[in-house]
Formats: sequence, C-alpha cells, structure tokens
Amino acid sequence: MKKLLTLLVLLTLTSCMKDDIMEPVFVSEVPEALLIDELVGIKLESTIVSSEVRMNVKLPNDGTYRVKIRDLDNSLISQEKLTAQEGDNILSVYTSSLDKSSFTLELTDVNHNVIGRTVFVNQ
Amino acid sequence: MKKLLLTLVSVLFTLSSFSQSYIKAEKVNGSSVTQVGDTLVVKLQYGDPNSLGNAKLTQFDFQYNNKLLSLVSRDWQITSSSAQKAYNSWTGYKWGGTFSTDLDGQYSDFISQSTVYGSNADWSVERVTVQDVTAFTAGGEFIQYKFKVKDKAGTNYSDYSDILYLNWGYLKQGDGTAIATEGNAKMGLTGITGGDAGDVTLKIFSNALSESAIDGTDYTYNVYLKSDIGDGNQVNQGASAVKTGNYDASGEATISGLENDTEYFVWNFIDGSQDYMDDVVTVSDLALVFAEAIGAGSTPNGSSTTFDYHIQTFMANVFHDSAFDGKVDFKDSYEILAHLQGVTSGNSNYVSKKGGAVQSGGTKSIFGTVDSNGSYFAGLDATFKPTDSNKSFQFAHVLIGDVNFSHSYQPASTSDFQISSMIIGNSPSLSAKYNPIQQNVDLTSQIVDGEVIFSINSEVVGMIGTQFNIVYDGTRLELKNVVFDTGNEMTNFANHIEEEGKINIGSFDQQFTQTVKTGTPYQLIFTPLVELSNTSGLISFKVNEGVKADGTQIKLNME
Repeated sequence: MKKLLTLLVLLTLTSCMKDDIMEPVFVSEVPEALLIDELVGIKLESTIVSSEVRMNVKLPNDGTYRVKIRDLDNSLISQEKLTAQEGDNILSVYTSSLDKSSFTLELTDVNHNVIGRTVFVNQ
Repeated sequence: MKKLLLTLVSVLFTLSSFSQSYIKAEKVNGSSVTQVGDTLVVKLQYGDPNSLGNAKLTQFDFQYNNKLLSLVSRDWQITSSSAQKAYNSWTGYKWGGTFSTDLDGQYSDFISQSTVYGSNADWSVERVTVQDVTAFTAGGEFIQYKFKVKDKAGTNYSDYSDILYLNWGYLKQGDGTAIATEGNAKMGLTGITGGDAGDVTLKIFSNALSESAIDGTDYTYNVYLKSDIGDGNQVNQGASAVKTGNYDASGEATISGLENDTEYFVWNFIDGSQDYMDDVVTVSDLALVFAEAIGAGSTPNGSSTTFDYHIQTFMANVFHDSAFDGKVDFKDSYEILAHLQGVTSGNSNYVSKKGGAVQSGGTKSIFGTVDSNGSYFAGLDATFKPTDSNKSFQFAHVLIGDVNFSHSYQPASTSDFQISSMIIGNSPSLSAKYNPIQQNVDLTSQIVDGEVIFSINSEVVGMIGTQFNIVYDGTRLELKNVVFDTGNEMTNFANHIEEEGKINIGSFDQQFTQTVKTGTPYQLIFTPLVELSNTSGLISFKVNEGVKADGTQIKLNME
C-alpha cells in the first residue's frame, strides 16, 4: 500500500510539471554551392550553364529588386523585376534563349544600385 | 619623214656601234614577250660591217639568269653543211669579271685566268663553238635559244632587266688569225606582267563590323576572273570562283595563288542564316524610305530627295517594277513595313532578312558613286588587279533595305558619294542622322498572378516610330497577348515568329506627326509552360530603337 501511495504521489507530481515547449526550428535550405558568406550578393550554382542554373539572391531587406543580364559590351539584354525576402532566395536563371556566349549577371535594387555581380557562360 | 630619218639614224648608230666584227645576242620576238610564261627567242649572230675578216671559227660564252628564264631549246641556224658546231652548258656559275662590248678582250682575261667563273646558283653558262671550212656569212645566225620567262616571285629580283650577258667571245680566220670582236654586253626585258602575286589582302568594310555587331568570319569571299563576270556584275554561267574563303574576325583575308597583273572580281557575302539578319532592316529604315516616298517627285524636275547618299536609292529600292527601276516610292516602304509586321506581301522583294540576305558592294573608294548617266553599277564594281606595287584591296559591303547603314558600309561624306542638291529642308546634320542618339527605357519581366508580364516602359518623347525585337524561351513560355498603349493614331505591328521564340513589336506613324505615348506603350503577356520561380533570362531584347520625324535614329538603352 505504501508503495502504491508513493507511486500515486509521484504521478501526481509529474503530471503537474510544466511541459518543455518544442518549437520547430526552420533551417535555411541553401545548398552549399549557393552559400553566400557576405550579408548580400548573388551567386550561381555553376559558372558554365546550359538551359537553366540555380542562383542565390541574398538580399538586405524584403522588397523589389532587379536581376539583369548584360552582354560583353555591358549592354543590358534581359531584366527581371522581382519581389523577394530578406536573406537567401533560391531562384533560377533560364538560358535556353540566350546566345551561346558569356554574360554578366547583376543584382541591383529597384533604383539600379548594384548589390552583386557574377559572370556565367552559356553553352 | 620624221620616222624615216629616225630609222636611218638608228641604223647608222647600230652600224657604227660595231666598227669591228661582232657576235651579238638579240631578241627575236622581244616585243611580244610581255608576261610570265611567254617564250623569249634569242639569236646569236655574226656580223662583219666593215668586211674585216674571213671568220671561220668562233667561240663565245653567254650566261642567262636561270631564276628568271627557263631554257626550252637550242636551235642551230647556221646552214652550212660543212660547219662543225657544239654547245656546252653549266648551271650554277657566273662570270667573275665586268661586262663590256670588248668580247675578245674578255676572252683574253678568261684565257689568262685573270677572270674566272665563280659559283652562283642564279646563273647558267652556255658556250657555243662553230667551225667551218667556208667563211661565216656576215649577218648570219649561229644559233637560237628559246627561254620561257619565269615568275620572279620568290626570287631576289624585282624586275627582268638582268637576264642575259655575253661574257666573252672571239672570231678567227681559217689560219687562226684573230679578228677583233665586239659584242653587246647585256640583255633585259621590260614590262613583264603576271606571275604569282604572292599574298594579296582583301579587307571588308561595314558598320556591322565597326560596331562589333558582326564577326568578320561571317563574311566570305568568292574571287572570280574578271573575264568571268558579265552584265550587272553577274557571274557568267558555268564559271566558278578561283578562290573562296572566309574573312578573319577583323574582316581581313589574305589570299595566295592569284596572279599579278590579272584582273579579278570579288563577290563578298555575309552569312544570311545568322539571327542578326532580322535586326538589319528596322523601323528607322522604314522611316527613311517612307520619307523618300513622300518626298520623291515633289518638285517639277523630279530631282528632290530626302536621301543623303546616292547609294541609298539603290538600298531603298526593295521593290522593283522592272529589273531595277531606281525609283523609291510607297511600294518600297510598304514592303519594309510588311517585313516588320511579318506580313507576306505577295510581291518579290529585296528586303534583307534572316534566310534572305540581299547584298551588294564594291571597291570602297568608288562604292556609292554614280556615273554621268546616274547609274549605280559603276560604283558597284569590285574589280581588283594585284601588281608588284599593290597587293591590298578594300571593299564595301551593304545589305539591301538597310538604308541607315546600321549593318552596311556608309560612304564617305564627300561630293563623290553624297547628294549635293538636297532640296528638302529640316534635315539634321549627317553625323546626327546616322549616329543614333541615346535614350533610356525600362524593359522588365516579372511574374504577376501566375503570368509572365514583359513591360516596355518609356518616357521618351518625339518618337514617330519604335521597334523592339524580343526573344523569349519558347520551351517555357507561350505568348498569350500583346497589349499596345501607344496612342490612338499609331500603326502598331507585332511580328510573332513562334517557332523561333521571337516577336518584333513596334509602331510607326506614316504621317510623321503622331508620337508614341510615354508610360507603358507595350506589354507582352506570356503563359508559363512549366513551373517558374522567377523570370531571369526568359526574355531578352535584340533591337530597341526609335526614330524621330527627321529620320534620326534613337537607340533605346536600359540602365
């Protein structure tokens, strides 16, 4: 009987303890090839591209930005206006309709202030 | 009479120049030897103008330049059946002394060994010996030598002045008595043409090259013999090019295997299959042709024109009522407008486009000139002739329909090429007209409500025409709609080449009064064919240009 009472007391005490709160932790799924050490910037998964390549656009704030593609003489030949969030944004560059050449990929804010640049080869 | 006197003087001079007996070498057919490959005949002759001797023995040496002459044959000319005759030859030797007309004196030098032959690969020595029991006939020939004239290319000789020398010789009587013997020392040829021209350089000129829009390797050359070119610079049936090849990236080609002093004609071609061919004829060209169509014939003498260069009429005349009518009117502007709209007019036209480059050109220095009859063909001549002093030739290249020379050679702004009697006023200066001004526009793509929207935003005023050549990824996008907001009176066009993922859009006011609205005059709406996270690279732009009422091209740039 004494044992039973002890068990009941323990159960009662345990049931009154506060539960640990197990909140979910969101880990950014940035592939290693797209990790950007700096606070902001733009990075491609591969420099040599065929048809499509993933890119990481790492932004200082939520907002609207421009992703530009320039040819050898720095002429703008393609431009996307995108709205994205602060931090890493895994997006794509589609190259099927671009010439087989080398281009500069440029990230700017909406007012054309450059945030980052990289070069890729479309083959 | 004057000629007769001249001839007499010449004969007397010849006779007096040989006061003794002589052996001389003379060209039999000198006047007909004019080019490489011709056969030169040289006769070795005996003369006794003063009846000094009773010559029955002769021996003489001469040397010929074996780099410039190739021995073909030796043909005895002496007719006496009792004559004994012989020749000897050595290759690779040259007379070591000086040359003079004193042949027997030089023989003495030879026999005394005071002058000897030395090795020299360029020269060959011939020795002729004739002996007879009867005296030689004065004026008779001993022997003839035939030589083929060789190409001097690759030799150390710049001409043919140095081909044959008489080294020494003597004449003797039957008892061995020497007869004073003279001779002519040296023989040469002048005016010899032909032969391997060596490296000949062709260079092509076009704004497409200077603006780096096109790589020079896209141009090819076909070189024909000029004799294979017929009317209208067309190649005669059955004729084929003697040389073909590509220019290098800078637009230069070095050709070997052509002949000096031979006339050639070159046809230069651009690769018409290249994508940029669809960027050649644009709304700016349309504006120029339209303006000409409106202005043509506006004065009683019909001489008015809006063009600045003669050749522009040729380039704008894309529709021919006859073979080449040389008349620019609304039929021509309509053909260009139809081309921009992607409409098949049903007419045969000469608008340059992908898969249909219509091209012309000529020697740069004369290209675009007209003759006294107003014909352009004189200025389209691409004849060239390599010579010893000229191995480099420059050629202009144009594409028909490219009236503003964006991808063509623009002639120099001199009176030879320019139309001096422009009547229509308010034209900007040439430099302004053919050097586009720069303006900024904003072309962007983005995903909106599941659709890809491509917007052309412009704050540029004063454009009576615009054109945007757009390329999209047809594997990921499908064009759904084109939205124009250019103004109520503008003529808009959209030429959709679906299989190539291209769409050319724009506007043009044929009255030259309305201008494209600012704001967002054009929007393309695409439906994604695959799941898209964003639009980078899906849509790109090739041509972005506008044109003002005075024809000035506006290059629309993006920041």
